[in-house]
Amino acid sequence: MKLSSFGAGLGLLLVLGTGALAQDEQTMEELVELCTTCHGEEGRPIEPDYPIIWGQEFYYLYVQLKDYKSGRRANEIMQPIVEELSKDQMKAVAQVFADKEWPRIGFAAEESDIKSGQTAASAGQCTQCHLGGYNGNSRNPRLAGQNPAYLERTMLEFKDKTRLNAPDKGALFRAYDDADITAMANFMAGM
Amino acid sequence: MLKRFLMAGLSGAALLATMPMSFAAEETGSGTLYGDMQTVTQDMLDRAAGDGNNYLHTNGDYAQTRYYPASQINIANVRDLRPAWIFQTEVVDSMETTPIVVNGVMYVTTSFNHVYALDARTGEEIWHYKHNMGPITTYCCGPNNRGVAVYGDMVYMGTLDAKMVGLDAKTGKLVWETELADPELGYSETMAPTVVDGKVLIGTNGGEYGIRGFVKALDWKTGEVLWTFHTTPENSVGEWTTHDATGRDMLRDIEAEKKALEEMGDPYETLGGGVWQNPAVDKETGRIFFVVGNPSPDLDGSLRPGDNLYTDSLVSVDLETGEYVCHFQYIAHDVWDLDAVSPPILVDVMNDAGEMVPGVLHGGKTGHVYVHNRDDCSLIRHSEAMVPQENMWVLPTAEGERMLPGANGGVEWSPMAVNESLGLTYAINLHQPMTYHVESTPYPEGKLWLGGAFKVIPEERQWGNVTAVDYHTGDIRWKVKTEQPMIGGILATAGGLVFTGEGNGQFKAYDAETGSQLWKFQAGAGVNAPPSSYTVEGQQYIVVAAGGNAQLDYKRGNNIIAFTLGD
Repeated sequence: MKLSSFGAGLGLLLVLGTGALAQDEQTMEELVELCTTCHGEEGRPIEPDYPIIWGQEFYYLYVQLKDYKSGRRANEIMQPIVEELSKDQMKAVAQVFADKEWPRIGFAAEESDIKSGQTAASAGQCTQCHLGGYNGNSRNPRLAGQNPAYLERTMLEFKDKTRLNAPDKGALFRAYDDADITAMANFMAGM
Repeated sequence: MLKRFLMAGLSGAALLATMPMSFAAEETGSGTLYGDMQTVTQDMLDRAAGDGNNYLHTNGDYAQTRYYPASQINIANVRDLRPAWIFQTEVVDSMETTPIVVNGVMYVTTSFNHVYALDARTGEEIWHYKHNMGPITTYCCGPNNRGVAVYGDMVYMGTLDAKMVGLDAKTGKLVWETELADPELGYSETMAPTVVDGKVLIGTNGGEYGIRGFVKALDWKTGEVLWTFHTTPENSVGEWTTHDATGRDMLRDIEAEKKALEEMGDPYETLGGGVWQNPAVDKETGRIFFVVGNPSPDLDGSLRPGDNLYTDSLVSVDLETGEYVCHFQYIAHDVWDLDAVSPPILVDVMNDAGEMVPGVLHGGKTGHVYVHNRDDCSLIRHSEAMVPQENMWVLPTAEGERMLPGANGGVEWSPMAVNESLGLTYAINLHQPMTYHVESTPYPEGKLWLGGAFKVIPEERQWGNVTAVDYHTGDIRWKVKTEQPMIGGILATAGGLVFTGEGNGQFKAYDAETGSQLWKFQAGAGVNAPPSSYTVEGQQYIVVAAGGNAQLDYKRGNNIIAFTLGD
């Protein structure tokens, strides 16, 4: 994680105060505002390696929130935010962002990345779960048009065992070299 | 060519005497009339193998021969086959549906569980049902659906969120809905149901998610579950079998497995064992036959000591009660996902003593056709390998080990067909070199649980084939190579033909006896669904879905295309 990114999130938490995160006091509006601070007013995240969550799959978002809370997915910003949330609150906030329109970030991949990224993704049979066009469904996230730096970071974190909440992804990405991962990230982000 | 067709393709003397002009009259005379939306009776389902008008079962008949008895379209005229109509569905995604036809009304399904009723003469829509999908769906290989079953005035479909729905065949309105299992735990439905004697039979997906597999029988009228057969019994250990069905050593470390069993107990509760395809029904003995898929986690055997019964097996149970009758396991303690998915076929086969006995055929992901004795499920023989086999059975490693076939097979879920007069079964195969990687992780509560990864080797050429196997001997009669791995299904007809499609959009007809390609059509999207056939108002049609495939990422589409002979 970038220090600046962490600093932004931490600063936000300090502004709102930890008391604001207690589920009794926190309204959905406040929670959505908190999410928006990093993930973007118009759905465009404030840092290139933060994920787009507007228009993302509901069930995927909900599972990630659950995994942050249980510690299955480690993240210094997200864990304190979800710590006090109930399952119903997590479902509700996931639904809010799932219902929004996916923003276009307009990333254009190089031809070479498209070619090698597509080949690498075919080798991993990625469309079996993420579907044609990499649009995702239910528990499998949309990858098409996602921030390329986030996609790359995510795959590398699966590879180096920083991220553990989808264990088979680690085994898969350890079978790739980093250049293939970069190409896949750019290929999918450019879709 | 026509002479050979007359000799080999048909055995009925009456047909021989009147061919070819009376093909249509011969078949429509004994059939039902178009347009009365007549109730599908058990008798119609029982007689489907001889019904040249309707197409009532996903795999043609209860024996699952995929042999259609009409011969108006045949080797002499198939070159004149033309599109009669094209229907485009609302869903542009992977299509694996087998069109079912009842008295001129066709039922097809799409990804994400839409059902359409169409006029089989014109392709015009009669009704359209969209399943109200829950937010949680879990599937390994695309949001597919393989079609409906029909009985009475009902149409049945399994759903991605692990439900069974019963619809009114006339209107498409929902009559009942039954939850079969919890989709959050990895259960889902993509197979078509089978209906017999008032029971709707359905298996489950989920072998990649640590489910406990099953086959269930539901009451056709209410959806009530009548019985459940768990494909992983409470004692799943078996006999510590060290060699596969073909006699090859699977390199198991039995001592380590026994130690693990002592420590962790029987793994049956999360052992997988999905049932992907329809059971065959033997009405004479009151038994059904189905194949059970891989153990969970796919590649990591360390967490599931024992033979992992009844994964990777042919299984027979009693139709009335769901009680176990017999099984045969192809690969004990599978760590390659080379499991059993293509639906079994019931035909008479020659045993080793040269006697014809009731048999069962199964096309394996290993690339062999297995021939069984129906009485006790025992193996009579296996065919020559239809695809290259290399380095079997090397154990997966963290770095990855290359082995052929790749984990998609051989024969994937694609149903085979038979032509009994030729003694041939037809299979479509994949050649897709892969490396097998293992990495042990505990059960991740309903998330994908492969225990490692399968990775296609991009530098190696992939291809497929259509193969005809003499099931009385196990010899390969003919084989046609295709430019891409094959997935979808195949149909044989009394016209001496076999039809199958490819990922590149080609839909082709072959001579059933020689494998000569006789006709082709470019469908514009992957033809990766099993074809079917029907006759309306004296006109025979061949119909197939062209929607591509999620598993192999073949070009998506949304077309149902019906073909008939041009003027």
